[in-house]
Amino acid sequence: MTKIKLEHITMRFGNIFAVRDINLEVQSGEYVTILGPSGCGKTTLIKVIAGILTPTEGRVFIDGNEVNDIPIEDRDVGYVFQNIALFPHMDIMDNVGYGQRVRNASEEDTVAISNEYLELVKMLDRSGYIPSELSGGEQQKVALARALASGSKMLMLDEPLSALDARVRVELRYDIRRLVKRLGITVLHVTHDQEEAMSVSDRIVLMRNGTIFETGTPLEIYRHPRSIFAAYFIGETNLIECSVAQKSKNGKTTVRLRDGSMVKAGKSIYSVGDPVVISVRPEHVYTATDGLRAVVKDIVFMGTYWRVRTEADSEDYVEYNISADSQVPMRGDEVFLVFNKKASVVFARPYEGIWEAIRLE
Amino acid sequence: MPRIRLENIVKRFGTVAAADDLSLTVNDGEYLCILGPTGAGKTTCMRIICGLTDPDSGHVYFDDRDVTRLEVNMREATMLSQVYSLFPQMNVYENVMFGPLIKEWDEESSRQMVKNIFHMVHMEERVNAYPNELSGGQQQRIALARALASGSKILLLDEPLRALDARLRLELRKELRSMVKEMGLTAVHVTHDQEEALEMADRIAVIRDGRIIQVGTPKEVFEEPKTPFVANFVGRSNMIEGVIASAEGDVATVTGNGGTVFKARYTDRAVGSKVLVAVKIGNTKISLTEDGYFKGRIERKLYEGATITVEVNVPDIGTVSVKLPNRKFDDFEIDDEVSVNWSPEKAFVFDYPENGLEDELRVD
Repeated sequence: MTKIKLEHITMRFGNIFAVRDINLEVQSGEYVTILGPSGCGKTTLIKVIAGILTPTEGRVFIDGNEVNDIPIEDRDVGYVFQNIALFPHMDIMDNVGYGQRVRNASEEDTVAISNEYLELVKMLDRSGYIPSELSGGEQQKVALARALASGSKMLMLDEPLSALDARVRVELRYDIRRLVKRLGITVLHVTHDQEEAMSVSDRIVLMRNGTIFETGTPLEIYRHPRSIFAAYFIGETNLIECSVAQKSKNGKTTVRLRDGSMVKAGKSIYSVGDPVVISVRPEHVYTATDGLRAVVKDIVFMGTYWRVRTEADSEDYVEYNISADSQVPMRGDEVFLVFNKKASVVFARPYEGIWEAIRLE
Repeated sequence: MPRIRLENIVKRFGTVAAADDLSLTVNDGEYLCILGPTGAGKTTCMRIICGLTDPDSGHVYFDDRDVTRLEVNMREATMLSQVYSLFPQMNVYENVMFGPLIKEWDEESSRQMVKNIFHMVHMEERVNAYPNELSGGQQQRIALARALASGSKILLLDEPLRALDARLRLELRKELRSMVKEMGLTAVHVTHDQEEALEMADRIAVIRDGRIIQVGTPKEVFEEPKTPFVANFVGRSNMIEGVIASAEGDVATVTGNGGTVFKARYTDRAVGSKVLVAVKIGNTKISLTEDGYFKGRIERKLYEGATITVEVNVPDIGTVSVKLPNRKFDDFEIDDEVSVNWSPEKAFVFDYPENGLEDELRVD
């Protein structure tokens, strides 16, 4: 069932389009992340849904009803901000019960609901504390409990983890997903962190310059990106300029790199001679006794693996991973690289150049 | 040669010890990361090196010269703080050229250096902008550019990449490190992000409660953690409690809750000692067909891009997480019964923490 529907949403501030002609449907119970670089319009979009902003053009539907004229307080949307916005003078219990009190719920109900949601975020033992006595991660859990305690079935998360330490972020993102899935809540979660987006969401909406660039499940977008920008922004990748050298009947493409070496890539729609770019993720590059010749520039320990950075004869920088237990090459060593052809995605070479196609701002 | 040496530094704020007998050496030309959770004393440590905070006791040496009481501007160290303090009336270019200009360096070569730095921080197109026209992340990059152009041989970076988008942060990690290396600077870089530290540092100093608890290369800290906290903070670990049943050769046998039995690295702890066994989630294996130490049911699969994390519920043990390459995503389904296994040498044995597991592993 469709919970949220956006039809041709445009939001303009003066002459600046924050978002332009956005169409999007979110199903009931779906966890959607809106992912994109700073300034791409992602926060504007959830503010429009929550009713904090009124769109310049277009219509917002919730449960099939148009809500453009319904004020924020009647939209039944929970909202969690990046900068933890708890009331500093109220204890945790009162913070969580605030929404109930404003609606004149009985004291008994307010306490029961506060307890229930504090229990859900495992913060019940802190109910008498004031916010400044809690760590950042704990405060954000309380903010989450407060947003959920309103009983709303929709939750907007505006970079809820950005202000927290890296490690706390990882723990909390799994907690959030577990919790909202259990409660069957529809979530729109705004983030610039692709790893966060991939690990929490059912579906990623990738935005750039105020428009939706691509949508798909984390797996689809990571494995089969439909644009160079998506390949680059969601996960790390090697982007290599080349041209189509051969094409098999079923579409399998062989490309010629700048040094003339030939590399097999995945299926594509391009013809022999077309300028293209292939995207190969570091985990799909291997070393062999023959292949693209490259010189090792740097070796970096990444925990469970080593990242090897090389410069190939084709003048491309190519990175690959080897397991932490394997023999590590030395800087200056010669290696021969081969790519997993199924995982080598072929794109048309952008008219404006690769760097323009992956620009973050 | 040690460039910076902190010796038994103590600094208290009220009852809180931000530095508690802290000692640390930074070598000439080294890129050292101070890694720890919020409130561990990272920033205090930097401020003491820089001279912005006076220690209650202990000494700071630069090149074996005691600078403990030396003023900030005499120390030749530049600190990039989390507050960027750019000059609001100067544009980006003027902000960064400020150091070279007042030091009366050769203008042409300064200009070339500054140009390279702007390129590194991806800001060459915004040189004419004023600080108030920039986003937080852009301001941070300009502050970083200014610190690099300051001519100091010692760079103190307090969370220099914090305000940046995740994707840009990845790019700048590589570029910042290679720039510092190229310029022959000594850098101390404070971060809460263990991946950033692993990727950037020559050595990592893990700090907690005002003390350095381990210093080593990224590989040493990751593969030979000294405490359960380090094992779990630098790459997540599964923590399983048990009692030493026997230890022979390279392997210890441990009895866990509910009569489970599993292997770990050899330890000389006495049979019957209560211990904590830590296995990195990347070194924990699951299988549908082979035997393991225990069996569990898959509760969750999380896709992270290059890797996936599978969470397995094991009776008597709890949740065991396993990090696998993404190509394994289709090999396992929710509710599959799997066995859990690891190589004994990848399982570290620690004394069971005195104040309990939760307190030991606290990251927040």
